[in-house]
Amino acid sequence: MAKYLLQDAGVNWLAILALLTFTAVFALALVLVLFRRKGSYREVERQPLRDSYYLLLLAPAPTPAYPGPLGGLTELQQVAAFVMLIVFLLGCWSLIDLCFQLMARQRARLIRQHRPALLRHVELEQLEPARAWWQRLYERLTDAVPIEEEAAIVLDHEYDGVRELDNNLPPWWKGLFYATVAFAPLYLYYAEFSDFAVSNAEAYATEMTLAEAQVQAYLATQENTIDESNVMLLEEANAISAGQRVFQAKCAPCHGKAGEGGIGPNLTDRYWLHGGALTDVFRTIKNGVPDKGMIAWKNELRPRDIQEVASYILSLQGTDPPNGKEPQGDLFTAQTFK
Amino acid sequence: MTQLHKSPPTAGLEHFTYDNRIVKYFAYATSLWGLVGMSVGLLAALQMVFPALNITAETTFGRIRPLHTNAAIFAFVGNGIFMGVYYSLQRLLKTRMFSGTLSYLHFYGWQAIILAAALTLPLGITTSKEYAELEWPIDIGIALVWILFGINLFGTIARRRERHLYVAIWFYIATWVTVTVLHIGNSLELPVSLWKSYPLFAGVQDALVQWWYGHNAVAFFLTTPYLGLMYYFLPKAANRPVFSYRLSIIHFWALIFIYIWAGPHHLLYTSLPDWAQSLGTVFSIMLIAPSWGGMLNGLLTLRGAWDKVREDPVLKMMVVAVTAYGMATLEGPLLSLRSVNAISHYTDWTVGHVHVGTLGWNGMLTFGVLYFILPRIFRTPLYSRRLANVHFWMATLGVIFYAVPLYWAGWTQSAMWKQFLPEGILQYGNFLETVDAILPLYALRAFGGSIYLAGVVLMVYNLVRTVRRGKLVANEAAAAPPLSDSPAGHRGEYWHRWIERRPVQLLVGATIVVLIGGLAEIFPMVMVESNVPRIAAVQPYTPLELEGRDLYIREGCNNCHSQMVRPFRSETARYGPYSMSGEFIYDRPHLWGSKRTGPDLHRVGGKYLDSWHFEHLMDPQRTSPGSIMPPYPWLLDRKLDVTDLPAKIRTLQRLGTPYPARYDRRALEDLRRQARDVADGLRESGVDDPELAEKEIVAIIAYLQRLGTDIQPESQGTPQN
Repeated sequence: MAKYLLQDAGVNWLAILALLTFTAVFALALVLVLFRRKGSYREVERQPLRDSYYLLLLAPAPTPAYPGPLGGLTELQQVAAFVMLIVFLLGCWSLIDLCFQLMARQRARLIRQHRPALLRHVELEQLEPARAWWQRLYERLTDAVPIEEEAAIVLDHEYDGVRELDNNLPPWWKGLFYATVAFAPLYLYYAEFSDFAVSNAEAYATEMTLAEAQVQAYLATQENTIDESNVMLLEEANAISAGQRVFQAKCAPCHGKAGEGGIGPNLTDRYWLHGGALTDVFRTIKNGVPDKGMIAWKNELRPRDIQEVASYILSLQGTDPPNGKEPQGDLFTAQTFK
Repeated sequence: MTQLHKSPPTAGLEHFTYDNRIVKYFAYATSLWGLVGMSVGLLAALQMVFPALNITAETTFGRIRPLHTNAAIFAFVGNGIFMGVYYSLQRLLKTRMFSGTLSYLHFYGWQAIILAAALTLPLGITTSKEYAELEWPIDIGIALVWILFGINLFGTIARRRERHLYVAIWFYIATWVTVTVLHIGNSLELPVSLWKSYPLFAGVQDALVQWWYGHNAVAFFLTTPYLGLMYYFLPKAANRPVFSYRLSIIHFWALIFIYIWAGPHHLLYTSLPDWAQSLGTVFSIMLIAPSWGGMLNGLLTLRGAWDKVREDPVLKMMVVAVTAYGMATLEGPLLSLRSVNAISHYTDWTVGHVHVGTLGWNGMLTFGVLYFILPRIFRTPLYSRRLANVHFWMATLGVIFYAVPLYWAGWTQSAMWKQFLPEGILQYGNFLETVDAILPLYALRAFGGSIYLAGVVLMVYNLVRTVRRGKLVANEAAAAPPLSDSPAGHRGEYWHRWIERRPVQLLVGATIVVLIGGLAEIFPMVMVESNVPRIAAVQPYTPLELEGRDLYIREGCNNCHSQMVRPFRSETARYGPYSMSGEFIYDRPHLWGSKRTGPDLHRVGGKYLDSWHFEHLMDPQRTSPGSIMPPYPWLLDRKLDVTDLPAKIRTLQRLGTPYPARYDRRALEDLRRQARDVADGLRESGVDDPELAEKEIVAIIAYLQRLGTDIQPESQGTPQN
C-alpha cells in the first residue's frame, strides 16, 4: 500500500503523514469531548475570556450576546467549535481530494497497461511526477518567470544599463493588497457606524465599570479592610521597618530622611497641621491635602502600607533630628495616640 | 515587447560630461554629518543612563534630541539623497546637471541650513514641532534651497536625452513635490520676532497638521527618495534587471497616495476625533503591500545574484537595508492598530521601531551607495573590502543591539504602567520605578549605538584611504544619441509609458495624488467646529504662563513629557481625567509629545506645591531620588526676557486668542503681579533670592501649575461623543 502510494501514485509521504496526524488528532478530540464528564468542562465555562485574548484584535471585547445556533455556548466554546468545524471540513476535503487523485492514477495505470495510445487522448500523460500541493501553491503564489527564461520578458528599454523584467505582480502580494484594501471599509464601518462601534470614551467608561466591579469583588473577599475608622497602631519591628522603607521611598523627598521636614512639615515634633492621632495621620496620607501640596497616596499605597508608614511616622515622635524644620500647626497631646 | 529597438543609426552620438564633483561634495557631507548626527545621538543615549552628561543648558537632552533627529534626517540622510540623486539623475537621463551654479548653491545652501540648525537648536530656538523644530527664518531658507533643487531637478529632466523617465525619477519627483507641500503646510506660522513664531493652527488641529507632516517626512524624506536610490543602485550593483516593471508602477502610485493618509496613527487614543484615528489605522494597514512592493522588487531583483551578495559589501549593505525597510514597514502598520498602539505609544518601542528604519534602511543604503559611488568617481578600487565587510557586520549587529533592548524596554515599561493591584491601585504608582527598571536596557542601547557609530568611523577611514588612492574624474565623459521620437511610434506600448515621457503630467499627477489624503483629513478638522467641542471653562494663558510655556518649549520638555492623558484606566489613575480636545484651543503649538521618558504633565497643575517644582527644577534628585531628568539651575540665574511679550500677545490675538483689546499694553503689568505672587509664596517656603519675581523659574512654575486645571474632574462622568 505504502509503496503504491509513494511510488506509483506519486503522493508525497509528508501529505500522508499530515493526513494521519489530522485523523488521529481529530479522533482524539472527539473522544475527549464525547466521553468527558460534564462536570469537568463546567470549569472551562466558568473561565471568562481574558482581556488579553483580544490583544491582537482591533477592538475591546464585545459584550456577550449571542443569538443563533451557538447561542448556548460560551465564547471559548464557540471559538473551539468554529475551529473544529473548519478543521473537520478541511479534513473531509483532503480525504475526498486524495480519493480522486488515487482514482485518476489508477485509471492512468490501467490505460497505460491496456491501451497506451489512449493516454494522450485523456490528457493523463503529464500526471507524473506529481508535485506536492505546497510546491504548486508556492508557484501559484509567486508566479515568477524562472531566471533561465527571463530573456523572454526583458522590456525593450534600458536606463544607464538598468533593464526591467515584465514579471507579473506576485499573486500573494496582490492578495495581501486586496485584503488590506477590503479591510479598510469593513473596519471603518465596524468602528464608526455599526452597532458594535465603540468610541474611545465609551470604551473607557466600560473599562472603568468592569475594573470597579472587579475591585469591589476582590475587596469583598478581604476581611477587615483597614481604613481610618479602624486603623490600629503597629509596634512590631517588622511593620515599623516596612513603614520606614515606604517612608524613605515616598515621603523623605519632602519630609526629610529623618522626618525633619523640608518642602513638607517636620514630622518629629508634637505640632500637627492636620491632626496627630493615628487616624488623622492615616487619613492625611490616604487622601492628601491638595491645597497644601500633600499628595493623596491611596492610588499608590495599599491600606496596610499606609498603616505601616503612619505607625513609623508616629514612632519618630520626639527623635529631634538635626536641621529640624520649625513647628507648624497645633500642639497635639500624646494621650490621644491610642 | 521583447524585440529591442535600436536608436536610429543616423542620429549620431552627442558627447557630454557628468558632474562628479557635486556628487563628491554631497558624499563627503553625508559622511561627515552622519558621524556628527550619530555622535550626538550617542550622547543623548548616554544622557539617559548618566544624567550628569547634561552639562550645560545647551547640552541638555531636551535640546540635544532635536539636534540629533535633525542631523540624522536632514543632514545625514538629506545629503545622502542629494548624493544619490545627482549621481543617478545625470546617468539615467544621459545629460549633465542643468546648472552647475544651482548645484553648488544647493549644496552650500543646504549645509548653511544644517549649520543654522546646529547653532539654533542648542540655544533653545525651536518651534517644538517634531522634525520641524527650526524657526521661521530657517524654514524660509529651507524652502528656497529646496526650490533651487527643484529647478535643477526639472531643468535636468527638460534637457534629457532619454525619452522616458525611469522609476527612480518618479520617486525623486514625488519626493520633491510632497516635501514642498509638507514643509509649507507645517510651517504656516506668524513670526513674533526674528527667532520666535506661533503656528497658524492650535491644539488638535496643530497636532494633526504636525503628524501629517511628521509621518510624511518619514515617507517622503526617508522612504521615497531612498526607494529611488534603491531602484538605481541595487540593479547596477547586482548587474541584474529589475524584477517587475508593473510592480514598480503599482507600488509607486499606491505608496504615495496611501502614505499621506496615515498620519493620524501617531495620535491614536489622543483627543483627535475618533474618525480621524480610524482613518489613520486603515490607511496604515493598506500601506503594508505598497511598501512591501518596494522591498520585493529590490530583493527579487537579486535572484540569480545571491552569490555576488555573499562577496560584495555594497550588495550586502543594500540587502540588509531593504530587509530592514520591509520589517519596519510591516511593524509600522501593526503599531497603528489601536490595541497594539495602546501598548507601544509613548514607550521606547516606537524609538526602537524608527531606528530599525533609519539605521537599517537609510543608514545601510547610504553606506552601500557610498561604497558604490566613491571608487567609481575616483577610478580606483575600494581601499579595503575587508574593512567594508567588518563595517557591514558592525552595522547589522549595531542595529540589533540598538533595537532589541528598546523593544524590551518598551514592553516592560508599558506593562508596568498598566499594572494594577487587586485593590485597584497602580502597582508602580511612582513613575520612577518604571524608569529604573529599564535603565540597564538604555545602557545596552547606547552600547548598540556605539557599535554602529564605530562602524561608520571605520567606513570614513576606508573611504578616505580610497579617495587618497584615486583621482577624481570631475567631469566624466559620456555619449548618447540626442533625444528623438521613437521611430516605431508608441502603438502597443504599456499604458503607463505615456506618463513616463511627460514629466509635467507626472508632477501634476503625483501632486494631486498626495494632496487628496492630506486635504481630506485636515480640511474637516479645521472647518467643522464640532470636531473640537468647546469647553466654556478653558481660558487663554496669562502672560506669565505664556512666557513659562515658551520656556517649556525652549528647554524641550516635550521631548520627554507628554501632555495627553489617554482614556485608559491606567492613565486616569496615574495622571487624572483624560485630556479633551477643547482644552487645547489656545495651545500654539500643541505640546502633546510623543514619548514619555518622564510622566505625562497635562494634569500636573496643582498636584505639587510651587516649592516642590522649585526644588525639582533645581535638582530633580532632591524631590525624586533616582530621577534621570537634568537639573535646570539656569532658570533661577536668568531673568525672564519680556521684551517680546506685547508682540506675542498681538500675534496671538491676530491668530484668534481672545485677549481683551489693547491687552498687549497691560500684559506686562499682569505678568509682574502674578510673578510677585508666585515669588512671595516661594519665599515663604524658604527660597532666598531678592529678584526671584523676575526670574525665569517663576514663569515656568506658573505654567506648570496651570496645566490641565481649566476643567473640573466631574465634567468627565459621562462618555462624550
